[in-house]
Amino acid sequence: MKKLLFALFLFIVVTVSTNAQSSINPDISLIGSFNTFTNFTKGTPEYGKLNFSDPEMELFVDGYLNPYARATANISYENNAFGVEELYGNIVRGLPLDMQIKAGKFLVGFGKLNTVHPHAWPFIERPLFHQVFFGEGGFNDVGINFSFLLPTGDVFTNLDLGIFKGRSMIPQSDSNAVDRGINPIFVGRLSSFLSLDDYTNLEIGLSASSGIYSKGNLILYSSAPIDKQERSFNYFYGGLDFKFKYAPDSYTVLTIQGEGILNHRDVPRITQTNINLVSASNQTITNSGAFIYADYKFQKQFSFGIKYDYTAGIIGDAPSFLTLNNDDKNSTQGIETWFSYYPVEETSVVRLGLQHLFFNYGNGTDRPAETTIKLQFLFSLGPHKAHPF
Amino acid sequence: MKKIILVLLMAIVSSNYANIKVVASTTVIYDLVKEVGKDKVTVDFIARGDQDPHFVEVLPSYMLKLRNADIFFRIGMGLEMWSNQLIDGSRNSTLKVIDLANDIDKKEVPNYKPDASYGDVHPYGNPHYWLDPENAKVMAKEIYENLASESHQDEAYFKKNLDEFNSRLDKKMQEWANRMQLVKGKPFLFFHASWIYFTDRFGLKTAGFVEPKPGIAPSPSHNAELVQVIKSKGIKTILMENFYSDSAPNQLSQLTGVKVVKVATAVYGLKGVNSYIDMIDYIVNQIIQNS
Repeated sequence: MKKLLFALFLFIVVTVSTNAQSSINPDISLIGSFNTFTNFTKGTPEYGKLNFSDPEMELFVDGYLNPYARATANISYENNAFGVEELYGNIVRGLPLDMQIKAGKFLVGFGKLNTVHPHAWPFIERPLFHQVFFGEGGFNDVGINFSFLLPTGDVFTNLDLGIFKGRSMIPQSDSNAVDRGINPIFVGRLSSFLSLDDYTNLEIGLSASSGIYSKGNLILYSSAPIDKQERSFNYFYGGLDFKFKYAPDSYTVLTIQGEGILNHRDVPRITQTNINLVSASNQTITNSGAFIYADYKFQKQFSFGIKYDYTAGIIGDAPSFLTLNNDDKNSTQGIETWFSYYPVEETSVVRLGLQHLFFNYGNGTDRPAETTIKLQFLFSLGPHKAHPF
Repeated sequence: MKKIILVLLMAIVSSNYANIKVVASTTVIYDLVKEVGKDKVTVDFIARGDQDPHFVEVLPSYMLKLRNADIFFRIGMGLEMWSNQLIDGSRNSTLKVIDLANDIDKKEVPNYKPDASYGDVHPYGNPHYWLDPENAKVMAKEIYENLASESHQDEAYFKKNLDEFNSRLDKKMQEWANRMQLVKGKPFLFFHASWIYFTDRFGLKTAGFVEPKPGIAPSPSHNAELVQVIKSKGIKTILMENFYSDSAPNQLSQLTGVKVVKVATAVYGLKGVNSYIDMIDYIVNQIIQNS
């Protein structure tokens, strides 16, 4: 009897594993990225030297859970550490109003570019305003997104409405910042896609996000015990984006894409300073950021392009509770150019890029411009799907 | 009151004649659906006739086409890797997705583990089966069965259309076979490995491909090898789909005098190619005239 059960067990294991290999297994893809760079900023350790960044990796696991839903995991390896870049389920059909629901941790649909993984961008550097307002990893958060197709005839119009934990809000390192608590943020995007002709397509979008980005104590210092004055600092992002693509044949593609953001946010600004007390009041700043790029792909294997960036704030500064209030006075501009070679389809890319950054401080600080040259090698192993338009 | 009754009657009558909404992944399928379904089918397509069906950008406008469709016919065998994203994006939970490859006698099914080192090898076999007119009949039959299943009351109508199409195709097949006798057994160079079904049907010999491996761009070293092949085998013609770049074939032409013949392998791929029969007519004419 035991032998029979063991044989039955073996049969089940073999059958299940065979089926799993052939049809049940999800798609598994691996994206690898390796950068070398040098810069021309005197006084930095990288100045004029060939620097090797540690390799980065994204492991995608993706597949159908059932006829109605998919699940995706994106495990990243960056800065010598593993992390969960994305992990979400997506109900793609079968819901009322043809709604789609995405739940988990994922790239938030604020603007067009943020939801596209960086390996699929035609350029190397993340747009500057993404870095200032969303952080190095982009607008990536935990939450639920509801997506609706609006009845606009032959024009594809999509409305996304999402509620998120707010973990992507700028980390507050200042000792006067306090836990932002359980305060979800809201994100929405309305986008329309139009085919202008068989070869030319255009998408335009409007985005908005609001909520509490931080909480803090307005009493920054007191020589005597004094009650804390905790305040919530709210924000509102408004966004505008477009993407234009002209592909007259299989070998040539011209892409022009741009996005802008308007940021309206509460900040603590120091209003009282004396030997016994330093306190701030809750004020409001309004600033902005934008980028636009053009990429021209020819002979299917080559592309070159240029990107212009502007953002309020200074790139690379770790934002703190108080430095944020300078973001309406300081700004960074950037020009990036690139040349890419795709040896075989999009399975690998060799890209040479140059970025030139200019800094502008409201207090007159003189900081020289920075130039970085980067050589990027990207490869894509497995069936990772091309991003939709 | 009379007007209301009339409107109601019209609504009932029109609902009885409601068309089946079909989307085809390619224009060849689009034409076959039109042949079988005629006026009882509303049909649209995704990949244009002058477009490489392997690489179609996932556009939201295509999702809209699928959103209201009853049936989505595709070639299958991994040709339309882009189609699943469109299907998901359409949010259409009642959409029937039919691969027309089901009853096709598949060729070049790898008997090894196909990976990217072999180029764009399709793991389920060569999917360009529509280039054999006999396979067009298999596709049309599959289309008929699915349309009939969708609208039982029109089954006889679809069958009549199918029979008419097959009859026309049989006559043309006879004509094409007779004309292709002139080139039977002759060696040809092809750009992409998409012609096995056509060459097997009409008895052409495949001497090689301009692409070193399927989907891999031509290279100077491979072109140099092909110059020797063309000279040693006396190849007169390079046959290629019109959506590929003719740069490498033209270099071969300059070096050896071989003729480069660009043909449409989809309906509407070239001016005047407005049906499946037009398409095979065009290919046969070009081969005969240039060989």
